[in-house]
Amino acid sequence: MSTSTARADTALEFEHVSHWYGDVVAVNDISCTVGTGITGLLGPNGAGKSTLLQLAAGLLVPASGAVRVYGAPPTNGPSVYRHVALVPEREALPAMMSARAFVAARAAMLGVRDVRGAVDRALALVELDTVADRKVGGFSKGMRQRAKLAAALVHEPSLVLLDEPFNGLDPRQRVHMMRLLEERVAEGTAVLLSSHILEEIEGVANRILVMLSGRLAASGDYRTLRRLMTDQPHTVRVRSSNDRTLASLLMQVPSVLSVELSSEGVVVRTTDYAAFARAVAPAAQHGQLTLFEVEATDESLEHVFAYLVAR
Amino acid sequence: MSDPMMNATQHATQHATRTPLGPVSLARTASVLVRLSWARTVTPVLLVAMMALLLLPMLFALVFASRGALSGDPVSFLVQRYDQLVCALATPIFALMLGTSAFSAEAEDGTLLYLVTTTTPRWWITTVRVLFAAVGTAFLSAIAVSGTGIIVTGFDDPQGVTRAFTLAVVLGGAAYASLFTLLALTTRRALVGGLLYILLWEGVLSTTFPAIHYLSVRQWTLAVAASLTDAKEGVLVGGPSLTASLIGAASVFVLAIVLGARSLRRPRLSRIGT
Repeated sequence: MSTSTARADTALEFEHVSHWYGDVVAVNDISCTVGTGITGLLGPNGAGKSTLLQLAAGLLVPASGAVRVYGAPPTNGPSVYRHVALVPEREALPAMMSARAFVAARAAMLGVRDVRGAVDRALALVELDTVADRKVGGFSKGMRQRAKLAAALVHEPSLVLLDEPFNGLDPRQRVHMMRLLEERVAEGTAVLLSSHILEEIEGVANRILVMLSGRLAASGDYRTLRRLMTDQPHTVRVRSSNDRTLASLLMQVPSVLSVELSSEGVVVRTTDYAAFARAVAPAAQHGQLTLFEVEATDESLEHVFAYLVAR
Repeated sequence: MSDPMMNATQHATQHATRTPLGPVSLARTASVLVRLSWARTVTPVLLVAMMALLLLPMLFALVFASRGALSGDPVSFLVQRYDQLVCALATPIFALMLGTSAFSAEAEDGTLLYLVTTTTPRWWITTVRVLFAAVGTAFLSAIAVSGTGIIVTGFDDPQGVTRAFTLAVVLGGAAYASLFTLLALTTRRALVGGLLYILLWEGVLSTTFPAIHYLSVRQWTLAVAASLTDAKEGVLVGGPSLTASLIGAASVFVLAIVLGARSLRRPRLSRIGT
């Protein structure tokens, strides 16, 4: 009985999936499942995220292994798109069409019965209803993202694959999209969204898959993963009006492990980046120094991934 | 005992159909695809190119007509111009532009994805696109032929040569359009490939080597024209039979739809992400 329930909750399943383009391995022996909720697919550019999403959408056939959408291969035929929608990373849209016409075209080709009603709902959902009759060719990047999302959600699919959906969105639109996705999840939708920016995913995904060079480097609950990522010391470079004085002041900050003076400023290793960030300004103020720059030098996702893989 | 697979499918269905979905309407789909094709085709560059090709045989006709009786036999003139300027040049280039403009551009900018991630059967998409290109090519070619004929002979149409070629280019246009629509779905450089095909295969090889007659749309077009006119000009004799030509054209049409639909299952999209 528990097995049945587990299978029923699984919208998407990868089983030892590999895919390569010529000699380049894009996806390497990935096994994981995606169920109801928001799953973040995290990885640097070129990690194979888009390839994995295309495999999930049935646009590519895995070279080995199996992909299943609700238990069946997504390559079986176009009927899979009754349940699945893919929002690609590319912004290109049919420039000469209005947002309404574009979403209506998708709805018609998906067999939506009440095209007008569904289009109105989808456009209102992404807050494009007031500009729905403008040509998408004149849209900003953020508006294009929302038009793509409206086209994907017009038939209310139960599995939504989003490739870098937050590109080009301003903070307010980003929050709106997160809320929108959460609403969809509350109605039972499974969402797999990719990003190369950790902060984009951490606010919205309750589960994370981390890809690196085509491999699944880590997967699981966001908090567990985040703990793993923050387990290592952070390196921060600080430049000020008097680096020597600043170095001596920073040595007194509890979270600081080491301080090094270099030609580019003070290089600090700290166990708690947030605590250090809170402490650096008061320290500078105490020493009557002017801070020119505070920069985390190892905050790149690649670095974190490398750390995860090394573990 | 519950079947896990059944449960999964039921689960998907429960969540998937809040917006009622039904069978896809062919009329609606065709309307969408034609609008998209039209928008990709009606660009200033393509319009100027098509207009130039449309007017080219008519310009020759005007020169012929301006010389009066000195120009020679109008039937011979028309057959040669129809063959060289319409069947071997204007019709294939119309078809190339109309057949490749939409799919090539959509594959290049990635918007093809929005067509193929729908429940519309792939062969519908290919068929509509082939028909769009075929109708457009046939229409433009028929205007080029009939306009040229009217300038040279008025409405007399000696030996029914203009009527014969008007009908023949409709068939030839459909075959060319099928071929180039398929080319757009299977290659990145459809325009270059198509132009090479027109210039080398149809322009040189099909007239040089009789064995190629059976594999040439130009020769099929001439064979249809030959069957409909009493004219016995050189290019109208010695080509493939009417039956072989019709079978050839029909085969290209069917193959374009079948192979095109198959290629849309794994669409050739330029980078849609990393």
